[in-house]
Amino acid sequence: MKPIVETKNLSKWYGNVLGLSDVTLQIEPGITGILGPNGAGKSTFLKLITGQIKPNIGTVRIKGQEIRNNYNLFSIIGFCPEQDFFYDEMTGWQFVTSLLKLHHFSEPDVETRAQKALEIVKLVEDKDRVIRSYSRGMRQRLKFAQAIAHDPEIIVLDEPLSGLDPLGRRKIIHLIKSYKGEGRTIIVSSHVLPEIEAMTKRIILIHQGKIFAQGDIHYIRDLIDTHPHIISIKCSNARQLASKFIQQDYVLKVHFGSSNDSLLIETNNRDKLFSLLPSLFIENKIKVDEITSPDDNLQAVFDYLVGR
Amino acid sequence: MIQKNTRRLSFFLDSVKNVYSIFFSMGRRAKKTKIFFLFSFLPVVIAFIIKFNQIFSGRSNVQGIYIFSNLIVVFYLQFLILILALFFGTSVTSEETEGQTLVYLTTRPISKSAIVLGKYSAYTTLVILMMSVGVLLSFLILNVNNLGNFSLYKILLRDVVVLGLGLICYTAFFTFIGAFLKKSIIVGLVFSFGWENVIQYFPGSTQRFSIIHYLKSLLPTSSSGRFSFLMFRLEPSPIGTSIFMLFLITVIFLCLACILFSQKEYILGD
Repeated sequence: MKPIVETKNLSKWYGNVLGLSDVTLQIEPGITGILGPNGAGKSTFLKLITGQIKPNIGTVRIKGQEIRNNYNLFSIIGFCPEQDFFYDEMTGWQFVTSLLKLHHFSEPDVETRAQKALEIVKLVEDKDRVIRSYSRGMRQRLKFAQAIAHDPEIIVLDEPLSGLDPLGRRKIIHLIKSYKGEGRTIIVSSHVLPEIEAMTKRIILIHQGKIFAQGDIHYIRDLIDTHPHIISIKCSNARQLASKFIQQDYVLKVHFGSSNDSLLIETNNRDKLFSLLPSLFIENKIKVDEITSPDDNLQAVFDYLVGR
Repeated sequence: MIQKNTRRLSFFLDSVKNVYSIFFSMGRRAKKTKIFFLFSFLPVVIAFIIKFNQIFSGRSNVQGIYIFSNLIVVFYLQFLILILALFFGTSVTSEETEGQTLVYLTTRPISKSAIVLGKYSAYTTLVILMMSVGVLLSFLILNVNNLGNFSLYKILLRDVVVLGLGLICYTAFFTFIGAFLKKSIIVGLVFSFGWENVIQYFPGSTQRFSIIHYLKSLLPTSSSGRFSFLMFRLEPSPIGTSIFMLFLITVIFLCLACILFSQKEYILGD
């Protein structure tokens, strides 16, 4: 398949701070997830491929053309920025129609496209409210609407799920996946592995401004699954629960918390442990207050993968 | 080749028009516009107080048009148009970078020059409208007992045109300042009430390095009475030269603003 986005030796510094270093890759149609901890260089990469900032070294080509100052390419690109900023005094409808006008569509076309985009993100009922009064989820969906309203071939989404509640996340994930089947190229960034996993199997891992790995998500999963995970459980009978866990071969260690009503479990198979939890709680009539995974963040996984 | 260039020009002008219509409509509703609209009524209030005082004190020996001409120089030319141009001109680019909304415009199939020119035109229209309403009301209040004298309307028209030219020129200059500097308001204030207010009183050709010199050259220099010092040391340039210089300054600073905005890297959110 012909690559849509090509970067060659792409590097970017912000003064003395490295943003991105020597990134050479090709992105083909379909959904590609850009995964990395906060500050890894995901946003820098997306800003570079959308021509918002210029690389210090290297090139970006979109469908064979240089992107920087090539504004004609933006008729086929839709970009959803990470920042939660808008023209707050506009209504949702005015925001989408105003930006569509900049694509030189006719007035009726602008209205049809805006209506369609707002229907897709389910904001039609609230379209006449000022953006200032929108919830975070609605604002996120509005950003998505402006990115898809002109029916672009390439959609670039920077952390589209950040700050959303689980229901909001599900809606956006569903929206992104619905675009997958239409031959488009969708590039989506996140620092949460399960979010990317829910959208695509093709991922690029960025860490400290460098491409750490790229390919099928199963490969990354295999790497991550060998990393010991710590899970914390606050419950009514921690000792009884600990005795059950200790019998499992994939549980490496069990610690009691300071208040004796919490457990820290170290496992090398997080998925198996999570699937066991519900039956254990029900069978032993254990009341659970909280389950958290203290090191379940990408930074810990990356640190583990790079051997820190 | 010519056809291609014509098509590109028409596409560019269409982009400018689209940006203009968005920001004119948004600017009309903006809180900032409402505040400055009220602010631009300050001379109207002063005109009202003067007229009220004249009527009730029975001392109406000073002609309304004389007070109006002084009001134009004191409040509008030396103060209000500078403030309006400064706050709207610098915001052409700075409100996009500070508000982090620039990304919505720069990821559209329009050139950055079209963004600058479209927003500049929209905001200049707004400030000219704001100024015109205030000037008209001041004129009507101060000349309420002499509205049948049509020669006065010529003066009104001349003053509105001069102030309009001033707004066009100053807004272009401040658009450039906004694209060039981060703390553009402070620099703008220093320019407006430092440079412009000092250099115009320098003798010889030095005063030609201020914009206000060319604006004052378009007004009659025979101003007398209490505010005659405002025309002090003015060695006016010919009207044609003044209009040409104002036009030239506007074009130069708009071109510089467009080039700078197109080339400069604005890093948002970092």
